Amino acid sequence: MVVAALVQVTWAHHVALLGVVPNLVLVAAVAITWTHGQRAGLAAACLGGLLLDLESPGPLGPHAVGLLCAAYVVGLWARDVDPSRWLQPALATAVASGVYALVLVGIDDTLNLAVPPFDVALQLAWMTALYNAVLAVPAVPALRRTALEARA
Amino acid sequence: MLERRTRPRSTGMFLTLCAAMLMLAMLTQQPWAAGLRGQAKSVLEPLAAAMTTLSNRIDAMTSGFGDTAALRARNQQLSQQNAELQRQVAELQADGLDNAALRAALDFQRSYGHATVAAEVVERGPDGFSSAVLIDRGSADGVRTGMIVVTGAGLVGRVVEVGQHAAMVETLADPRTRVNAFLSKSGLEGTVSGGPGMLAMDIDPRFGAAPGSGEFAITSGVGGGYPRGLVIGQLSAVDHQAAATLDHGSVLWVNDLASLSVVLVVTDFTGT
Repeated sequence: MVVAALVQVTWAHHVALLGVVPNLVLVAAVAITWTHGQRAGLAAACLGGLLLDLESPGPLGPHAVGLLCAAYVVGLWARDVDPSRWLQPALATAVASGVYALVLVGIDDTLNLAVPPFDVALQLAWMTALYNAVLAVPAVPALRRTALEARA
Repeated sequence: MLERRTRPRSTGMFLTLCAAMLMLAMLTQQPWAAGLRGQAKSVLEPLAAAMTTLSNRIDAMTSGFGDTAALRARNQQLSQQNAELQRQVAELQADGLDNAALRAALDFQRSYGHATVAAEVVERGPDGFSSAVLIDRGSADGVRTGMIVVTGAGLVGRVVEVGQHAAMVETLADPRTRVNAFLSKSGLEGTVSGGPGMLAMDIDPRFGAAPGSGEFAITSGVGGGYPRGLVIGQLSAVDHQAAATLDHGSVLWVNDLASLSVVLVVTDFTGT
């Protein structure tokens, strides 16, 4: 998660599409939740969120809460579906991105921090959700394969 | 049965962690926590600086292959030169207005000479909702909260948090930013508001003067928040209504958040 957070803030803007930057920490948290279970995902989300908070102005905590909510939703989703299908993690990542954006903007607004206008936030949220979903397609199977090899 | 037993534990863990993070947010938002927050946020700066350097080197190496690489470098160089030239044009236009007024009124000499510290941008906001950048200069280098940050092209923003060797800069992309400015040709005054896309400017109308596209918005120094004479951007569109008390314009910021790499921190001016 440390590597994901550092890559997020130093390199991710190089792969921005139409001004949209992928959220590598969210994708990593979703992948961990999908392959290792909800508790591992929540722990990863908390750590990743705190690292993102360290790289943003304002208090520590908002990104962590956003990622925790996203990981919780993914954990509930992963219980009831076939984990081997590629579409389910992508859909779950897209929904998790939306949950993350909603919670983050809500908390920032409550704490009187900077939030973009609603229409800009909405556009950013759905475009980022799409980008994250595309990244989740190879990320989740790769992590599952790594976990299986580690167990073997 | 096992699944039902694990569900409440995961939900319990989720609720506990959320509550802890919300408490942390409320605690670290307090004014007394600003110093600790700044120090904590500069912990990752050395790693981020190393990764930024590595990323730039890889970029330079891979772009050595092919004609597009040379064209891209030349384009970037020309863009930087263009931005600096535009700033000089804007300042000369503003100087023209200033000189006319000063010659008519006072025996006054204005010089723009401020002490600055150069800094590299090592981190950008973690997502599209963040408009801040982290620079590799902090309190050990004379940087303080409230200092203004600029580039050769113009105004970037203001330092909001400081650690020993790093500082967080809130840029003009922050929708809460407000800067008092004037237009370089018409001399009309107004307020520029920050935003993630185009900046917005509310312009006070004056009989006999009209704002025009292409004028530069420059900090006026009114209110003491920013020094006078810093270029903010170029007016791209103006909405003028005869019955309105204010005209509204869109301002194209002279800096691009995605491509900011080196900035200057003005160390002998701290805005109010």
